[in-house]
Amino acid sequence: MGKDRLLDVLERYEAVIGLEIHTEITAANTKMFCGCPVAFGGEPNTRVCPVCLGMPGALPVPNEAAIEWTVLAGLATDCDIALWSQFHRKQYFYPDMPKDYQISQYDLPFCSNGMVDVEVDGPGVAERLDLDGDVVADGPVPVVEDGGYRVPIGITRIHLEEDTGKMVHVGGSEGRIAGATHSLVDFNRAGTPLMELVSEPDIRTPEEARRFAQKLRSIWLVLGVSDCSMEEGSMRVDGNVSIRARGQVEFGTKTEIKNMNSFKALHDALAYEIVRQADLLDAGEAVVQETRHWDATARRTSGLRSKEEAHDYRYFPEPDMVPFSFEPEWIASLAAQLPELPDARRDRYIAEYALPKADAAMLAADSETGRYFDATVEITGADRAKQAANWMLGDLAALLNAEGIAIGDARVTPAMLAELIGLVEDGTISGKQAKQVFAEAAETGDAPGAIVEARGMKQVSDTGAIEAAVAAVLEANPAEVESYRAGKTSVIGFFVGQVMREMRGQGNPAVVNEVLRRMLG
Amino acid sequence: MTALDLSALSARQVRDGIARGDFSAREAADAAYARIDALDGEVHAFLQLMPELAYAAADRVDAARAAGDELPPLAGVPAGIKDNMNLLGTRTTCSSRMLENYESVYDCTAVRRMLDAGALPIGKLNMDEFAFGSSTENSAFGPTRNPWDLERVPGGSSGGSAAAVAAGMVSVSLGSDTGGSIRQPAALTGTVGMKPTYGRVSRYGVIAFGSSLDQIGPFTKNVDDSALLLEAIAGEDPRDATSATEAVEAYTAAVEGGVRGLRVGLATDILEVEGCAAEVKQSVLDAAEVFASLGAEVGEVALPSARHGLSAYYIIGPAEASSNLARFDGIRYGHRADDAEDVLDLYMRSRAEGFGPETIRRIMLGTYALSAGYYDAYYGQAQKARTRIIEDFRSAFERFDVVLTPTTPEPAFRFGEKSDPFTMYLNDFYTIPVNLAGNCAMSVPSGLCSSTGMPMGLQIIGDYFAETTVFRAAAAYEAALGFDTTPPLVRALAR
Repeated sequence: MGKDRLLDVLERYEAVIGLEIHTEITAANTKMFCGCPVAFGGEPNTRVCPVCLGMPGALPVPNEAAIEWTVLAGLATDCDIALWSQFHRKQYFYPDMPKDYQISQYDLPFCSNGMVDVEVDGPGVAERLDLDGDVVADGPVPVVEDGGYRVPIGITRIHLEEDTGKMVHVGGSEGRIAGATHSLVDFNRAGTPLMELVSEPDIRTPEEARRFAQKLRSIWLVLGVSDCSMEEGSMRVDGNVSIRARGQVEFGTKTEIKNMNSFKALHDALAYEIVRQADLLDAGEAVVQETRHWDATARRTSGLRSKEEAHDYRYFPEPDMVPFSFEPEWIASLAAQLPELPDARRDRYIAEYALPKADAAMLAADSETGRYFDATVEITGADRAKQAANWMLGDLAALLNAEGIAIGDARVTPAMLAELIGLVEDGTISGKQAKQVFAEAAETGDAPGAIVEARGMKQVSDTGAIEAAVAAVLEANPAEVESYRAGKTSVIGFFVGQVMREMRGQGNPAVVNEVLRRMLG
Repeated sequence: MTALDLSALSARQVRDGIARGDFSAREAADAAYARIDALDGEVHAFLQLMPELAYAAADRVDAARAAGDELPPLAGVPAGIKDNMNLLGTRTTCSSRMLENYESVYDCTAVRRMLDAGALPIGKLNMDEFAFGSSTENSAFGPTRNPWDLERVPGGSSGGSAAAVAAGMVSVSLGSDTGGSIRQPAALTGTVGMKPTYGRVSRYGVIAFGSSLDQIGPFTKNVDDSALLLEAIAGEDPRDATSATEAVEAYTAAVEGGVRGLRVGLATDILEVEGCAAEVKQSVLDAAEVFASLGAEVGEVALPSARHGLSAYYIIGPAEASSNLARFDGIRYGHRADDAEDVLDLYMRSRAEGFGPETIRRIMLGTYALSAGYYDAYYGQAQKARTRIIEDFRSAFERFDVVLTPTTPEPAFRFGEKSDPFTMYLNDFYTIPVNLAGNCAMSVPSGLCSSTGMPMGLQIIGDYFAETTVFRAAAAYEAALGFDTTPPLVRALAR
């Protein structure tokens, strides 16, 4: 299925998408209702105790840190924080759930009624077809901006619950339950604090869904609430999607898509599902409300058995815990602890340093990058912030990408990068030399100044030395001098090259240019 | 040497006797096991004996005494444990086939505290399966018999805990009370049973029935021992988020306080309910007279919503139980059906085979009450009734320090006499409202029924965390009444 099919379908149908995003609060260190450590993987059933195994008589004790993280997440996404809330039991039988009920929240979640802005730019803008003043049936109205648009996406709620264990199906294909002879359960993950965010059905395109999930991930990362690894499952996104004829107000029948293990998978699975539903409607068939599984290899969704659908969860208030009553002062003190969030940081970079929006957004997307940038600019001064941004998004980004390391682990520190920028700006080395110095600094961890010194790379800005070299070049190339003076000024580049060669690359290009023009003129 | 007779000694006397060197803790354990040998074939209070644990504990006490150490408050006191409380090194069965071979993997906080206070863990005690019942007839391992009359039930669900104390097999025992499961068997066996305020004793490690109702409490032969044991087990527990942070008062010090000026409310409106035996009613009126004669100010109090207690309880209790018992699914522990076809078949057959009929009835009641479309009509209504009962008690305790009711409408009944579940449920009419409200209450013997010779119980209800006041009232009444707690079966042994 190509992108064209999606755009073709979207001409006639509007998609309505809501996301459910589960994020493990890896920052909480211990499980939601017991003292077992929170970690990924490990020898099965080694991070367990009577509580998270659901042994008879064991009782849950709420992890206050996890509740604080959830409230922080709510504050960071403009949610209302409940002054009165409680846990409920969500009841169903499944072997990965030790108590055969999950302690979750029902009608009194910690956070509700939030919102985040989602910016869409690039090719994904094409998926949104009502940007030019067409009627929007309902939902938030997109605001057109340079190179794209911005749309606020509502957050219905963020609640806290406990994660389940993991099933390992043995004897079937690819670990799926179909064909398995038996199943094993690993309860290491059982009881991990899990935030569930439910969005409003405000999302209209797969690209918006992707951007929304990415925005939340960047907020969670800046807060430090979770490591948000989609591969390890600490961030899991499920999508509810339906389509309706353009202009129609009623929602169509929705399906729920699971197993989207990357942002690309999220986009592609929703795109596939929109086209699949459109094909059904075009053929006069109905969409069946069901849960569907995204297969990233086959690039399609398939229905799970509908038997698993008929749940009456029999929610009731968790009697093993007393309800929570939060003081407004406590909530205010948490709000005061909020770090600078990605959007605010991005806007600050635009306002203070006049960075292009896309550059500013990339630098502000996670705290480590933002902190690196801030630390660099602290030394270089604001008037060289642009250069710092260029280095970070260029050579530094390429390096991190190639080495697969985090920016905090880079051998080139903000101080070193600031020093390098200083060497270029004061004319000590050329931009070309700076790239060599950066590469060497990244390899050795040596300071740029020391590298320039050791390599004798110092750029020559002394006018006398440059004038001597220029004079020698002009004398050796009378024909080119003639043609320049005849008006073919483009040969200046030839002269610059010749002078630089004469000076073994150490001439200051700006001074060389200036002297050349003067002596030729 | 004349063997030690636990029936003749209070727990405090056992402890003090060991401290003085009159006898050893080992001899106390010997006395318990000798009595069990003599009577438990008929009574069947015990499901499991733990002589290794008990004698090891006794040896620690004897060694401590030999070393001249100060002995803890329950040093060498033979104790029984209801079989829904976990203790490492024991099976914890809840009298169910489901957990017939289940071995505890950790200690229940209340049990641990009792043993840390020096008590000897003699054995685990029979009960109605998962504490569902008022007679121990619902035990998968056979009923316990009432030491006062082997043809009659000892009450339930903590029937084994009551019978063991009544028969002098142990000095004290722990029971759990969700709707009367300590007080009702205490009344039926002539023992003293205390249900503390909800949250006063940690629930960690007692296999949950109704999480918002359950409390662990002591069975003893007298009020002083009850205060002694509660002092040892009460208090905040970081493992139970519903345990109370209030400081534990010195209950034993309060026992001697007397009742002069105490405001005693007689719950006259619910004395008139159908099924309350005339003699039981009279014993409560007599008790009010006793209090008045001791200098208490006795008045009448109404608990108009108490009548709704039974209905509310049989929604809330089963609702919570249906959820709490979901974990017994045959996956990780407990009974697992053979040759299941798939996981659903495994669940259904394991549970159908592992649970008895009353357990299945409660699970179905609770599941139904919480189902979509029925929640508001059942669970929601029951919670409203619960709120009304709480308000009843709140206003009662604005005027009174304690409230008197019968513990049960009638003394112990015969086996099989209450085959209809509803008539069985009625036995908990007076005790259930206290669990719904969360107050503390105890049952103390109020005499023998003249026609059957069976003990009757007076329920003394206190405000939240007013255990001290309840103990004070109960001790004064106990002293005035002078009830002999020794059943004929035990008296016959001496002859």
